[in-house]
Amino acid sequence: MASSRAELLTIFQKTATEVVEREFTNISEKTVISELGIDSLGMLEIVGSMERQLKIQLPDEALAGIQTVEDLLSLVEKRQAP
Amino acid sequence: MNLVDTARQARLYSMYRTFFDKAEQERRWNPLRDVPYDKINKDAPEQLVMVAETFCCVESYLPDYVAKGINVVRPYFGQAWFSANWAYEESKHSVALLEYLLQSGRRTPEYMFDLQSRLMTVEWKLPFDTSRQMTIYGCFQEMATFVIYVKQEQRAKELGDECLATIFRLNARDEIAHCRFYEDVVKVLLEEDRLGTLRDIGLVAKHFQMPGVGIVPDYEERVKVMREEGKVDRAVFLQKVFFPVLKYLEVTRQELQDAVWSEKEERRISAAE
Repeated sequence: MASSRAELLTIFQKTATEVVEREFTNISEKTVISELGIDSLGMLEIVGSMERQLKIQLPDEALAGIQTVEDLLSLVEKRQAP
Repeated sequence: MNLVDTARQARLYSMYRTFFDKAEQERRWNPLRDVPYDKINKDAPEQLVMVAETFCCVESYLPDYVAKGINVVRPYFGQAWFSANWAYEESKHSVALLEYLLQSGRRTPEYMFDLQSRLMTVEWKLPFDTSRQMTIYGCFQEMATFVIYVKQEQRAKELGDECLATIFRLNARDEIAHCRFYEDVVKVLLEEDRLGTLRDIGLVAKHFQMPGVGIVPDYEERVKVMREEGKVDRAVFLQKVFFPVLKYLEVTRQELQDAVWSEKEERRISAAE
């Protein structure tokens, strides 16, 4: 079953915390990922982990365009759509 | 030395032979004679000059790159000789950049040699331990440097500095040749031990940093200028560096992630036992 937007945000927050090994408490959809101190390769690791958890695959060519948490969640949501 | 090592030696030498031959035939250039220093735009904005200075700073750690890097690959003739050749080519990059900075009149000899001395008070350290990891690092680092040089070449052209554009173009051409050599070596390593090499690619990607981080003074500020001038951002790194390297190596992101995850899982199981 597809996760809700709020659930996806929680998954992102938890995954980012695990990957970067730093507690993130105040992430919103408008948060710019690089401003969390997460570089492009760190973001890829988060994406990989989310793909595994949600059993989806995001296209490589779409990943370069991700700037904000919202960009990523929208991509995930689209991939989850039946 | 066992037979596998001998076979690898032969392949690495063959690669080096191809690389060297091509370099001799197509890429040799003289930083004192082949760069049009008379076409410097002496009124170019300071940001462009700062970009050249930053490249010069990073290239200045050549003694450390050579001393430490060559020892990692010492047992492998082809790779060790490549390192020697690589050092020669990189040395030209810093000479060309230094000449630009001095001949443009934008930096004095006193300033540059003082900067050089200050740079040498800090040592560059190997970012990874093994020859395989360092070879993988070489793929990403050389490709990233190539992309940045190409972007800066465009910027120098826009700003009417034909001299600096030429330096960036010649340097970029060398960097992509270095990248290809490293990539070809990694392909051999993937054939020999795919899972182990994939895991090392994952490790290097996770901890990847450009060589100037933490050693070049004011590096963050300098990189900010470089990013703004060259329009290099997260998207560029993924599109022009990370994915092209994986594609050349014939590795998918999913395969890479699976290898990293299986290693984590193995560690978890062994810790539980």
